[in-house]
Amino acid sequence: MSAVAIVAPVRRRLTGRAAVGAGILAVLVVLAVLAPVIAPHDPNAIDPSRVLAGPDASHPFGSDALGRDVFSRVLFAYRVSLGVAVGSVLVAMAVGVPLGLLAGFYGGALDSLIMRPVDLLLALPALLLALSLITIIGPGSGVVLFAIAVIYLPILARVVRGSVLGVVGEAYVIGARARGVSPFGCMVRHVLPNSLGPAVVQASVLMGFAIQIEAALSFLGLGVQPPTPSLGLMLADGYQVLQQAPWADIFPGLAIAIAVLGFVLVGDGLRAHFDPHGVSR
Amino acid sequence: MRYILERILLTIPTLLAMSVFVFLLIRLVPGDPVQTMLGFRATPQNVATIRHQLHLDEPLITQYREWLSALLHGDLGRDYVSHAPLSELLRSAIPVTLELTLLSMGLALVAGVPLGVLGAQGPGLARRLTDGFVIGGVSVPDFWLGTLLVLLFSATLVWLPPSGYTPFTADPLANLRYMILPVTTLAIGEAAYISRTTRGAMEEALGAPFVTFLRAKGLPERSIVYRHALRNASVPIVTVAGIQFGVLLGGAIVIETLFGLPGVGRLTVTAINQRNYTVVQGAVLVIATLFIVVNLLTDLLYGWLDPRISAGGER
Repeated sequence: MSAVAIVAPVRRRLTGRAAVGAGILAVLVVLAVLAPVIAPHDPNAIDPSRVLAGPDASHPFGSDALGRDVFSRVLFAYRVSLGVAVGSVLVAMAVGVPLGLLAGFYGGALDSLIMRPVDLLLALPALLLALSLITIIGPGSGVVLFAIAVIYLPILARVVRGSVLGVVGEAYVIGARARGVSPFGCMVRHVLPNSLGPAVVQASVLMGFAIQIEAALSFLGLGVQPPTPSLGLMLADGYQVLQQAPWADIFPGLAIAIAVLGFVLVGDGLRAHFDPHGVSR
Repeated sequence: MRYILERILLTIPTLLAMSVFVFLLIRLVPGDPVQTMLGFRATPQNVATIRHQLHLDEPLITQYREWLSALLHGDLGRDYVSHAPLSELLRSAIPVTLELTLLSMGLALVAGVPLGVLGAQGPGLARRLTDGFVIGGVSVPDFWLGTLLVLLFSATLVWLPPSGYTPFTADPLANLRYMILPVTTLAIGEAAYISRTTRGAMEEALGAPFVTFLRAKGLPERSIVYRHALRNASVPIVTVAGIQFGVLLGGAIVIETLFGLPGVGRLTVTAINQRNYTVVQGAVLVIATLFIVVNLLTDLLYGWLDPRISAGGER
């Protein structure tokens, strides 16, 4: 990819799947940000008269075992889900991208020094790594964000290092060196922007999975702690009353699936965007 | 042969690093892990005894040496809540997790590979169906999918038990009845990945010059697709299956808890909730070792599927 190619795709409109994904995410972000305004009820208000009550006009998703409004709780839970998803990936990128860039650009001893420990993080199943960190630090939404960032860091560092290796040999990089640009300047100004594409694609997909990981950890009681509304916690509560009030389980589950779908579609679209010939497929 | 030996030797540092991580797990807990583990009603003598048993009162290097040498002799320590030796707990839990993950992977391959092949050579409709299945399978969280299956097959149709477990050796049929829902739950998401990989690899293989040659030779399309192209596409499929096995092990942690299967995953979750650190340590060690061993087997399998890799050549 040349220096021009990185500019050109930005002007192209996001089409097809990516547009659908971006639309979904835009709606979800608005719902999450405006939750206090949109939510018809207080997400934590217990209403004994509405225990396990079914959906109706003012409670479109029904009520849970404590008579709390499931719709309002889903809206507030999106704040946690999306916050953890975006936050964990940003933290992982802030650390992983520079590491991958340095390892790929300078190579040699620095490469081994950086990548050996990074590869060791990949030697554990992701969820197990998260559980181990939670064992040490204790549960909570901040810990979940940190744990997911630790899982993602080696993935992003690997992806960036891989694309840097593909870019350093390009004529424009060699040309810049020949013009007298310092190695560091070369790395930051020419190599970095041209090797970010695959990491951005990966980041979008990873945000989607972060929503699932957060939900799984909260479902196990090891993530977000009650009474904070979280989609995973709602699924754990909903499972207890599955037969009497399936809506308390089905709607939070759908909410997760839709959010993940949004990120996956955007990731798919971005992949086609940065790599129109499907080389990295 | 050299390739095999090299791969095996390369896993030793990984295993050692993992053992250091697992060893540090209990030592990094803020405060006194023994006090936390035993609860605040524990007498100071009790705490001191167990601290001594865990060698927590010695220098870190000595602790690690003692711990590792006990480990290599098959002594994983004991569970200070139920007082059972850990090796006993794990011996009953490991087969459950292995059965769950291996059956899921098997089912995912049986469903995902043909679907991927169909998507690669089939008409537009087959492509769209695999596309939809892949995106759906990736987006839907597996434990919620499990809940939906329970709602349908246990709560509504009352065909299958929602949770519980019978060992295979005690009653094979009952064991399988308990396994159907958790295995299907894990396999659906997996099959999505496998079918996407298979489709990509098959598209590439079917476009390769050797396929054109085989067609020109007049080989039946069936034999070209299944015997020749699929063999060529098998390396990426095995890679993904190997990588995904780790995801399956992670998924098993949640699915075992959901379906009440007494495997290593549920053991881990229960132990973390009870702050039963020695059990967490043992369970993490077992899952991580399984993962590393599977990665090794995957690498060895490549070499067998594609001799160019074990010969050390560029692929």
